[in-house]
Amino acid sequence: MSMISTSGLTKNFKSYKKAPGFMGSLRALYKRDYITKTAVNSFDLTIQKGEIVGLLGPNGAGKTTLMKMFTGIIVPSNGDIKIAGYVPAERDKTFRKKIALVMGQKSQLWWDIPAMDSFLLLQKFYEVPDADFKARVEQMSELLDVKDLLHVHVRKLSLGERMKMELMASLLHNPEVIFLDEPTIGLDLVAQENIRQFIKEYHRQNNTTIILTSHYMADVHALCKRLVLILQGKKGFDGPIEEFEQILGREKSVSFSFSESIHDYTDFFENFSPEWNADFTKVDLRIPMEALREISGKVINKFPVIEFNTEKMPIERVMKTLMEKPELALGNSSSGEQTHVL
Amino acid sequence: MSFEKNFPKWWQTIKISWSNYTAYRMNFFLQIIGPALVFFFVKYNLWSSIYDGDAHMTIKGYNLDQMITYHIWSMIVGLVAQGMSALNLAEDIRMGRISSYLIYPIDFWEYHTAGFIAFETLQLFISALTITVIAVFGFLPDITFTSLIFGFTYCVYVSLFWFILQYLTGIIGFWLEETWILRVILSILTAFLSGAIIPLELYPEWLVTLLNYTPFPYLTFYPIKMFMGEIGFFPKGYLMLGAWMVILLFLNKWIWKKGIRMYTAAGM
Repeated sequence: MSMISTSGLTKNFKSYKKAPGFMGSLRALYKRDYITKTAVNSFDLTIQKGEIVGLLGPNGAGKTTLMKMFTGIIVPSNGDIKIAGYVPAERDKTFRKKIALVMGQKSQLWWDIPAMDSFLLLQKFYEVPDADFKARVEQMSELLDVKDLLHVHVRKLSLGERMKMELMASLLHNPEVIFLDEPTIGLDLVAQENIRQFIKEYHRQNNTTIILTSHYMADVHALCKRLVLILQGKKGFDGPIEEFEQILGREKSVSFSFSESIHDYTDFFENFSPEWNADFTKVDLRIPMEALREISGKVINKFPVIEFNTEKMPIERVMKTLMEKPELALGNSSSGEQTHVL
Repeated sequence: MSFEKNFPKWWQTIKISWSNYTAYRMNFFLQIIGPALVFFFVKYNLWSSIYDGDAHMTIKGYNLDQMITYHIWSMIVGLVAQGMSALNLAEDIRMGRISSYLIYPIDFWEYHTAGFIAFETLQLFISALTITVIAVFGFLPDITFTSLIFGFTYCVYVSLFWFILQYLTGIIGFWLEETWILRVILSILTAFLSGAIIPLELYPEWLVTLLNYTPFPYLTFYPIKMFMGEIGFFPKGYLMLGAWMVILLFLNKWIWKKGIRMYTAAGM
C-alpha cells in the first residue's frame, strides 16, 4: 500500500488587487478585483512506505502549498489526497499522530521555556508512553549531541541548536510520515551536515517515509533516491536522482586547468560547449558520457593539464537550468503520468 | 475522549502556559494590574469632581464613598473576569502561526482553553492579592466572606464568557486582517453598558430593562453588587450568561469550520 497518494490535487488562492495608497484602500472597500492564482495544478504523486523523496522547485513553485495540503493545514480546492489511509484535511487526531512537520523557517518550540519542557508537553499531546519518550530523547540527543542543551531556554540557543531541537520535537512520537520543509535553511556547513547525517541515520533505523524540500542540493544529493520536481504548480519530473541528472542530456561537466594559456588551440574544444576563463588557462566542458574517457584522455595527453574535475553535484546545474527555463521540463507534460521528461 | 486520556494533555498545557506567562514576571504583573489601576484612577477623578468633595451629596443612592467602593469592586471584577489570553488569535491567524496547532493532536480550542485556565488562576491570585492590599488600607470596610465567595465564583463564570467572546473576535481574523478595532468597539461598549463607568441605577429604567436581556449588566454591574453584599447567589445571571455562552459557542464552531477552509497558513 502506498503511504502517500494524490490525484488531480489542485489548490487555487484567491486574493484581491489593491491599488497603492489610501485611495486604493478605499476603492478596494467597494470594488475588489480578485485574482485567482493556481499554486498547485492537478498534481499526481504516489510514494511508498519508507521512501525519502526530495521535492524540488524554485520559490513560489508550490512546494510549501503541497506540504500544507499533505499535513492538513490547508484544504485542497480540488482532487484527492490520502496519507497513511487518511484524508489530511479532515484532520483526524489519529492522522495527526502519524505525521510530523519540521519547518526550517518557523519555530514550533515555545520560545521562553527550555526545549525539554516543550518535549514533555508534546509527549502528552501525542500520548507517548514514558519509557518510549525517555528512550527517544536519550537516543536522539546523543545522536545530535545536544544533551547539555535540553534544559536551556530555547531563545538562548543558536539557530543550528534550535533546529536540532525542532527535529527532536517532531520525532518524539515516532511518526510514520515526516515532512521536512527546508530543515537546513540558514545553517552553517557543519550544522547542515549534522542534520543530514541525523536524518539519514534516523531513516535507516526507523524506515520512516520522508518528504524533503530544500534549496541545498547537497541535502537532496545526500538523502534522496527519488526526486519530484514542481514547476509553476505542475509536476516537471518524478524519478530516480540519476535520471534527473541526465534530463538535459547524457553529458558530464568537466573542467580542466592548464599551466599556460592555450588560446591558440581552442578549436579542439569547440564541440563541447567550452566556457573559458579570461586568460584561457581554465575551461569547463560538457562531454557526452560515452566519450568521457576518450576525450579526457586526449586533453590530458595533448595539453599541459595541471588539474581536472568532474562536477560533484550535477543536479545543481540541472536545477539551475530548469529554473531558468521551466519549459524544458514542462514542455509536453500533459499526460500527468509517471516520469515524463522533456 | 475519556477524561483520563485527556487530562495529562490539559494539565501539561496549563503548566506550560504558567511558565510562559511568568517567564517575564514583572511584565506580566504590570500588564494585568496597570490598565486596571489607570482605569480606576480615571474614574476616581471623574466621580470626585462630579461630587465636588461633598460627602453628603447622593446620586441615586450613592454618596461619594459608596461610589468609590463601587469602582474599587469594578476594578476587582475587571481583574478577575476580563481575561486577555485569547487576544492575539487574529494576529496568529494572519501570520500563519496557528499552523503548528493544526498539526498537533490537540485541538486549537483545547490548547487555548487550557491557556485560559492557566491565565485565570494567575489572575485570581493577583486579584486576591489586590483585595488584600486594598482591604488592609481600610478602603473596603463592608467586606464579608460570603460576598467574596459569591463574587469570585460568579466572576470566574464571567471570565469564561469573556474568553469565549474573545475567541470569537479572534477567529474572525480568518476574514478580517486585523480585528483590534472590533475589540476596541467591544470594550468601549462594555465599559458603558455593563456599568463599569456609571452604575446602572443612573440609567433610565427602559434602558436597564433592555440591557438586562443583553450580557452586559451581568459582566460588571451585578458582580459588583455581589461583592458589595447587595445580591447573594444569582441564578438569573448564571442563566442569562449561560444562554449567551451557548449561542457564542455555536457561532465559534461555525466560524471555525468556515474559516479553516479559507486559512492559507501565510508565511509558512
